[in-house]
Parts: sequence; structure tokens; C-alpha cells
Amino acid sequence: MRELVLTLNRLLWLVPTLLGLLAITFTISHIIPADPIAFIAGDNASAEQIAALKAKFGVDKPIPVQLWNYVIGVAQGDFGVSLYTQRPIADDLVSRLPATLELAFVSILLSAVIGIPLGVLAAIDRNSWLDHVLRVFTVSGLAIAAFWLAILFQLLFAMELGITPLQGRVDGWGPEPVTGFFLIDSAWTGDWETFRSVAHHMILPAVTLSFPAMATVMRFTRAGVLDAINSNYVDYQNAMGVPRRVVVWRYVLRNALIGTVTQLGLIFGNLIANAVVVEAVFDWPGLGLYAVNSILQSDYNAIMGFTLVMGAVFIIANLLVDISHGLIDPREAG
Amino acid sequence: METARFLLRKLAADRTAALGALLILLLIVVAIAAPILSTHPQDVSEFNPPGRLQPPSVEHFFGTDRMGSDVYSRILFGARITIAIAVIAIGVSVLIGIPVGLVAGYYRNWVSDALMRISDIFLAVPQIVLAIAIAQTLGPSIENVILALSATYWPFWARLVYAETRSALNETYVEASIALGASPGRVMLFHVLPNISSSLIVRTTIGMGGTILTAATLGFLGLGPPAPSPEWGRTIAESREFLPEAWWYATAPGLAIFLVVMGFNLFGDGLRDILDPRTRRSSDG
Amino acid sequence: MLIRHASRLCRIAAVATIALGAATTTATAGGKFVFANSSAYDTLDPHAIFDVGRVASRINLYDGLMRWFDNPPHLEPWLAEKVDISKDGLTYTFTLRDAKFHDGSPVEASDVVYSIDRILEMKKGAYSLFEGTVAPGSTKAPDAKTVVFTLSKPSAIFLATVPEIHVVNAELVKANEADGDLGTAWLSKNDAGSGSFQLKRYDPAIGWQAARFEDHFFGWDMVDNPLDEIEFRTVVEINSRVLGLMNGDFHGTDGYLPQDQVKRLRTSDHVVVQEEESMRIFYSIIHNARPPMNDINFRKALSYAFDYDGFIDNILSGSVARNPVPLPNNMWGSPMDANGYTLDLEKAKEHLAMVEGDVREITLGALAGYGQTEQAAALLQNGLNKIGVKTKIVAETWPVASGKMRDEEQMYDLLFLWKSTYYADPNNWLGEMYACEQIGARNNSWYCNEEVDKLLSEARVSTDQDLRKANYEKANRLLMEDAAGIFVYNTKWFGPFNKNAKGIRFSPIGNGQEMRWVSME
Repeated sequence: MRELVLTLNRLLWLVPTLLGLLAITFTISHIIPADPIAFIAGDNASAEQIAALKAKFGVDKPIPVQLWNYVIGVAQGDFGVSLYTQRPIADDLVSRLPATLELAFVSILLSAVIGIPLGVLAAIDRNSWLDHVLRVFTVSGLAIAAFWLAILFQLLFAMELGITPLQGRVDGWGPEPVTGFFLIDSAWTGDWETFRSVAHHMILPAVTLSFPAMATVMRFTRAGVLDAINSNYVDYQNAMGVPRRVVVWRYVLRNALIGTVTQLGLIFGNLIANAVVVEAVFDWPGLGLYAVNSILQSDYNAIMGFTLVMGAVFIIANLLVDISHGLIDPREAG
Repeated sequence: METARFLLRKLAADRTAALGALLILLLIVVAIAAPILSTHPQDVSEFNPPGRLQPPSVEHFFGTDRMGSDVYSRILFGARITIAIAVIAIGVSVLIGIPVGLVAGYYRNWVSDALMRISDIFLAVPQIVLAIAIAQTLGPSIENVILALSATYWPFWARLVYAETRSALNETYVEASIALGASPGRVMLFHVLPNISSSLIVRTTIGMGGTILTAATLGFLGLGPPAPSPEWGRTIAESREFLPEAWWYATAPGLAIFLVVMGFNLFGDGLRDILDPRTRRSSDG
Repeated sequence: MLIRHASRLCRIAAVATIALGAATTTATAGGKFVFANSSAYDTLDPHAIFDVGRVASRINLYDGLMRWFDNPPHLEPWLAEKVDISKDGLTYTFTLRDAKFHDGSPVEASDVVYSIDRILEMKKGAYSLFEGTVAPGSTKAPDAKTVVFTLSKPSAIFLATVPEIHVVNAELVKANEADGDLGTAWLSKNDAGSGSFQLKRYDPAIGWQAARFEDHFFGWDMVDNPLDEIEFRTVVEINSRVLGLMNGDFHGTDGYLPQDQVKRLRTSDHVVVQEEESMRIFYSIIHNARPPMNDINFRKALSYAFDYDGFIDNILSGSVARNPVPLPNNMWGSPMDANGYTLDLEKAKEHLAMVEGDVREITLGALAGYGQTEQAAALLQNGLNKIGVKTKIVAETWPVASGKMRDEEQMYDLLFLWKSTYYADPNNWLGEMYACEQIGARNNSWYCNEEVDKLLSEARVSTDQDLRKANYEKANRLLMEDAAGIFVYNTKWFGPFNKNAKGIRFSPIGNGQEMRWVSME
């Protein structure tokens, strides 16, 4: 019950938090020195042309009126029109969200599948050479600039060895969008050739993105397993003659997982932040690339939309993490 | 004095933390002595177009860049920018964050609620996202990178100090001194702050690494200081159109970022083990 | 890898067959051409955009009354059969050919009238070319084959701007209007043209595909094996474009790659690099109205402090041609004997010494993301440093810079950038960059010199080609003498294409992207 109340409470806070975020981004984007209108009018535009466009986009109105109009619009799912592409920003964001989410999910999956076993191994063989190697790896995983790693991977695997694509999401046009997740869409229609192409393109960006996440997962799994191994319960089980291997995988791992799940929010935030540059380097047509392009065009409507959607995704992800944490670890609920 | 010696001994025993300290020291030395250590100190502002994009050699340890300047020398000078950005940005955000956190933690009224709500909003989005928006708006320069980083980082400190303050207020001796009539300022300054200082030191050290990474990212996106600044992130961005031929151009500045951030992370880890065992399991901030 | 490529080819062939249906049986299979474009096709509306980077959607899907060909560009009737110009230079009467839109309906004079009025009402893209010259509603269609433009004032450049009036299918666009938006939402992702190719697929994040339009008015007899299908894909990163060309995934890309990449392309067996001198000059705007730049001696000092050779020969590996005046060398009206400034720090110092008043710190503007502008600014900073002038480089995004360019107070002291060809007439450069009436709009130098202005205004309205040529040559010399800007180079175009692609026709306006002449062997 209390769990439910807490969750509802957080859900309710979602609205004012997003409103606050909206106010902040709006403020930021309206002290802008750029004149995007002059830009979209083209470098041969006349004063009259610019005035007409300003009226069209409503930027000739007082700032508070603009803010009010914007809030009303967002409430109805209307993020305004991109100053650059002239298309509704909501459409752009919706069409690009799946690419980012697909990449993020694959990266998280990758970091969990590799990070958790390695973390357990490091804990079991504490202070072994493996533990030391993995420790260096975890520390460097969080110290490496994602955009640099991306470029190094491109340099090595795409340019020198030529075994992966340099960038992009798929050769050609990709599968007919159903979910927007290319792996699912191509598998669904049995188009395995496209599936292969998508997977092939996914390797470098996903590995780049999962690097810091993997480091975090490994680190917390190791710590969680160590704590559990040192607990009285395990000593007891060992004394009772239960094989050590069974103890580790059954009890210890479960506890360690809880530690990792609590870090999912952190990992996800890190992932989203890195996605901006990683998508830019790999020309991955997701939200991050959209944001970078919008920056270059000073398209502040688009930047606001991006910030809001990223905020919402991030807040919801954290909420889900909290809920799932409560489910895995009933102690927290009390 | 005694604690300092204890600290040093502990750190020396922790090999990885010692390595971290060494890397940080190296950064500081390099930044200060850049004009002496660099082989072509004039290359920060002077160029040699005929000698552009030369591979590493005895003359140019890390090769030359698109203007024919020595990459090694420019990286050394870039260290100054990195240190300046990280130190000032962290300093400013801590100076805003600590008072906000203390006040919000000490008092229990609408002001404290409002302050925390505002910081929650900032924390609701990954730092880089807001930093990008701010840096883009203000235009590319070192000052604006610092501003963008400070403006998005202070809520982190406010949150931290707020939570620590709230828990410190429950400590018996703090309750006692309040009961004895100590002023709020006195309580915050002399009882709460010392209590949370070790945790702050740890977070600041690790935060330096993160801030350097974020600053480099802004530089990479073209939101940092403009050309011909030797800032590391922008150097990597510059190099991209000359790949794969000029591999050294992209590799060297990235390595510099990596080593420095690694230094702060290792040192911070070591500090945490010694100073703040409580938070050993928590996030890396 | 081999298998992957082979199967992809099969799929492409299959798609092409389905798409073209009966058409493929009459023509020989001409294959598909994939072009990797550096900028994104955010919209396909031919009246919304006017830039060189996205010219392909306009010239391949749409037709204009006139069209530019080859290099140096010459203007030819296209949708129009002929054009009659009245003696006073105010009335232009175009007679249309028999042509069909992609939906099979005929191209009529009313479509042309709708198109020009749509441009004038949307006030976007090429609008500024017609503003003040063509009044809304002034264009008439006396019959289905005749269009009459009546200009508000004589203009020597009108005909040169006519190719930008891309003719849209008026009925189709009107049928897809929403809330009186002139069909902009619909046309941004659909095709209502009569051009050589017909849109098949469009995704703003990826690009567009189009199939050959069998019924195009020009016919296809002139080309052996014309292309069945063209695809323009957005590939922002240079390295991806280069690698794609080298392994055959792409058949062409833009011709303004860094010289190091051109060198790399030349080593590939799959690629042939075509070379042409284009018409895109690189220069630095100087704010002529602000001290100390309002002093001719200071401007001369600036012009003598730039390392032209270092920039052109080393940094750009000789891939461009020195252009000492504001007009491209290969445009008529450019004086062939102009030598221009060279790096000469002694002369720079002499002129600096003659500057009246104080010399403060100078702000050098560059465009963020455009490495060349930053490098040029850094090089000028280097030179000015040596003669004792302090400078500060500011690199801002194009939207920020283009906003500041219109404001006398906010404009940088200097700003490096390019001036491209929108229409091939000297007025595109001189008349816009330095005419007094353009101050604050397209004259971002705040330069107003009576003598130059008189030459330019005369040339703008005169129909006497000899007079125009003489005026522009003289204006060029005066501007150079006045050091009104730092004029650096004219771009060369290095068009990398798959060696099997034949018939590429380069023109500075179309950039070699008009695909109807191309075939794949």
C-alpha cells in the first residue's frame, strides 16, 4: 500500500517537474543571441520576408505570451514547428525516439550480459589477476570520453580493418516501420538480410555506449557479491555443506542484482548523455543526432523539445527502476 | 597534522590511488610548466601551413595538426584550459550548492521545499543535456562552458548537502547545541559542515573527472572555446576530417583526457575508501 | 561481404522492376545511381529552399522555364520553348512546350502563374530574387501555353533568376492545402513536379528515391541507357561518403571535399574525380563603417596580413584558385588582369602606421563547424599578431552569424565565409555584396561607395551586355583597390563519381547533380 502511495506521489510530481523543466529550457532558449528566423529565411532574405516569418512562428509576441502558448501546445502534444525543417517537432521526436531507445536497450543488455558475470567472477576470485584487470577496466570505462572511443573504434574497425560499417543504422532504407525498432521490425517480417545489416551497424555504437555502463554494472555486481559472500548467511550455508557454487549463484547473485538494479537509473542517465555524442559520431538517426543538428541550426524549438522528451524519458526510467527495485527487494518496501 | 600523515600513509599504501595522485600531479605540473615542457610553445598562436599533418617524429612527438602546429605542445597548453574549466566550474557550483543545501536542509519551510524542487528539476535531466542547451545559447567560449557547467552542476551539491544536513541534524550533539541556543549559522558552519566535509571532498575529486569529460564533450560539439584554442575536445573534433590518415591527431588529445579523468577517478576512489567508508557502495557521482 | 553485396544488388534490381512496371520493358535497364549528400533533405518543397546543398531535389523532380547548363553556365529555355522580351525590358513572354506533370496532367501557363505567386506569398527560398521586381498577381496566363511576366522595374538579372521558378502542379498542390498553408506541409514530403524523375520514397532522416519519368517533355533519346532510379541519401560525415564511394556503395558525392580526402579517392579503382572551377568565392567581410576598418589604410593592412599562399597551397593543398576580386574569375565581368594582394607584412606595417586614430582589438568571425573559416581566421590572426594588431576569434553557428550580419552594431569586425552562385550573373556577387541599397540586407560590409554604386545600379537595369561587362570590371577593380573585403579564393569542384557513371554535366548552379544526363555502364 505504502509502495503504491509512493509511486503515485512520484507520478504526480512528474507534471510539475516537467513544467519546471519546460520553464528552464524556455528561459534558456529565449535569451538566445541567434536569430533563427533570419537563418531559415535564407541568406538572401529581405527584411519583409523576415518579418513575415516572425509573425508566422509567433516570435513577434511578448515572451510570456510565447511561453503560455508553448505550455498549452505541449500539453496537447504539440512541441511547435521546427524552425529549420518546418515540420512538427513532435513528429520528428517520435520518429527518432525508437532509434535511440533501441540503441540504449541493446547497450544495457550488452553491459548486463557481460558485466554481471565478470563482476561475479571478479568477486569470487578476489585479488586474482582477473580481478585486477577488471578493476582497471571498470575505472577506465568511466574515464574514457565516449566520442573519442567512438572515433577510435571507427578508425580501427571501420577504416583500417573494414569489418564494420563506419556509421548509419542500416544499409538502404531499413524495414517498413512498425515498432520503429529495426531489429524487431526486420525479424518480424522475416527479412533476415536487413536484420543482419541492422545488427552489423549496431555493433560499434552499442559497444561504445555500453562501455561505461558495463563498468558500472561490473563494479556494483562485484561489490554486491562481496558483501553477500562475507555475510553470515553464506557462512552458514557453507557450514551446512551446500556447495559453494550453488550458494554463489543462488543467493549471492540475487543480492548482487539488487545492487545493480538500483544503479540502472544512473546507468541510463549516463547512456542518454553519451548517446548525444555517440549518435553524432555514428550518424545514428536518433534523438541525440537530432539534438546536435538542432544545435548547429540554433533551432531552439527543437532543442526545447529534445530536452523535455529526454527529461521525461529519464524521469520515467527512474520511476520504473524504483518500482522494480521494490519488487525485487521487499525489504525496501517496509 | 596527525590526520594528514595518516591520510598520506593510507594513500601511499593504496597503489591505484597513488597512481591517481600521480596523474593529477602530472596534469598540474604540465599545466604550469607548459611553456618549458613543450617543444614548440609558439605553436599555440603561430602556424606553419607547409608542415601540416605530419606523422609523429622526434621533432613532433604527436605529429602536427591541420595548421602545421605541434600536437604535443598544443596538448600541454590545452591542459591549462582543462584545469581552469574544471576548477572554476566545480568551485562555482560548490559555492552555490553548499549554501543552498545547508539552508534547505536546516530550515523546514516553503523556501527549503522550493529550493529542493528547483534542484530536482535540474537533476531530472542528464547534466550534459542542459549544459548543451545553455552553452549553445550563450555562444562558444571558455567562460560560457564554465557557466553552463556551473549552472547545471550546483543542484547536485545542493541535493547532497541537503541530505547530509538533514541526517546531521538528527545527531545528538547537533540537537544539543541547538537546544543550547547556537545560532543557525553557527550550527551549519561549525557542526554540520565539518561533519559532511569528507564526503564533499570525495565527491569533488570524482566530480572533477566527470566535469572534465563533460567540458571535453562540449568542446567536441563545437560549444567550447573557438579555434585556434588547443582545447582537447575541439582538437578531436577538428581531426575527424583528416582520418584515417592523421590518426595521431585524434588519438593524442583523447589519451590526455583519458589519463586525467582516470587520475581523478582513481584518486577519488582511494579517498573514498579512506575518508568515507559509508558511501563505498553508492554511486560514483 | 561478397554475398551481402550480391544479394543487395538483386533486391535493388527487383525493386526497380516493380516500381517501373511496364516502363522497363520499353527502355534498356539503366540501373540506379546513389548519391551521398552532405546536407539533409529536410523538405522537398521547391519553393521553400534555395541552397546549393539541396539543389538535387529541385532540379531532378521539378522543371523551370529556363535552366542553367555546363560551366561557365549558359541559360537555355527548358519548359519554355522561347521567350520574348519587350523593348523596355519590362515584359517577358514565355511560350511553353508540351509537357506533363508526374500525374499525367499537362503543364499549363496557369501552373507557372500559381508557382510564382506561391513563391511571392510564401516569402521563402528564392523569394528575395523576385521581391520588388515581380509583383504578386502581376503574372498572367493569356492562354494555356503563354505566360507573361510584367516587371515592376527593369531588371537585367530577371532571366537569370527564372530557373528558380520551379513549376508545381497547381491543382495537385491546391487539393492538398491545409489551413491555407499553400500546401507547404504536403509538398514538403511529396512531389508535384514534371521533372525528369518522379519521387518514390522520402524520409527526412535518410533521403529520397525517385524513378525515371518516362513521359518527361525532353524525352530520353539523347541519353544511352538513362538511369532507372536515383537515390539521394544524406550522409553527413565526410569519411562515410568517401568510404562508400571507394567500396562502390555510393556513385557520387559533393565535390567540395577536403583535398586530403580527394587524394584518397584518387587512389581508388572505383572512383574518377572530375575537376572544374566553380563559382563560390571565399572571402572575409570587413565592416567598412566601423573604426578602424573605415580607414582604407587599416583595410589595406588587413589585406596584406593574410597568408594567401599558405592558405591556398598548403592548408587547401592547392585545391582552389586565387581570386583577388569579389567576383569569381570565371564569371564574365571579372577583370583578368587583377593581381590582388599578397602576404606582405612590411606593406601591412606601412599602412598600419598611416591609420588615423587608435587601433583596438579586432574581432575575427568564423562559422562554427566550418573548419576552413576557422583556419583562415587563425591565419589572419597570426599575420596581424606580427604587425602588432591584437585580435580575438569568435566562431559561431551560421544562424547566429547570419543574424548578426544584418545588424550594424552586432556585426563582427571581420567574418570569413563563402558566397555561392544562386544565379549566374555578376549581380549575384557585386550587386548584392556592395550596392548601397543592400546595406543591412545582403550588403553586410556596410560599404557604400558612390562611384561603385553608380556602376552597379547602371549594370543592374541595363540590357547592354558590353556596358554591363565594363561596369562590373571597373567595380571589381575599385573594390579591390578599396580593400573592401579580403578576397581569397574561388572554389574548385572535385566531383568524385563511380567510374561507371557517364555523362555527368557540371554547372555551378546544379553542382553536377542533374541526373537525367547520366548513365551507368
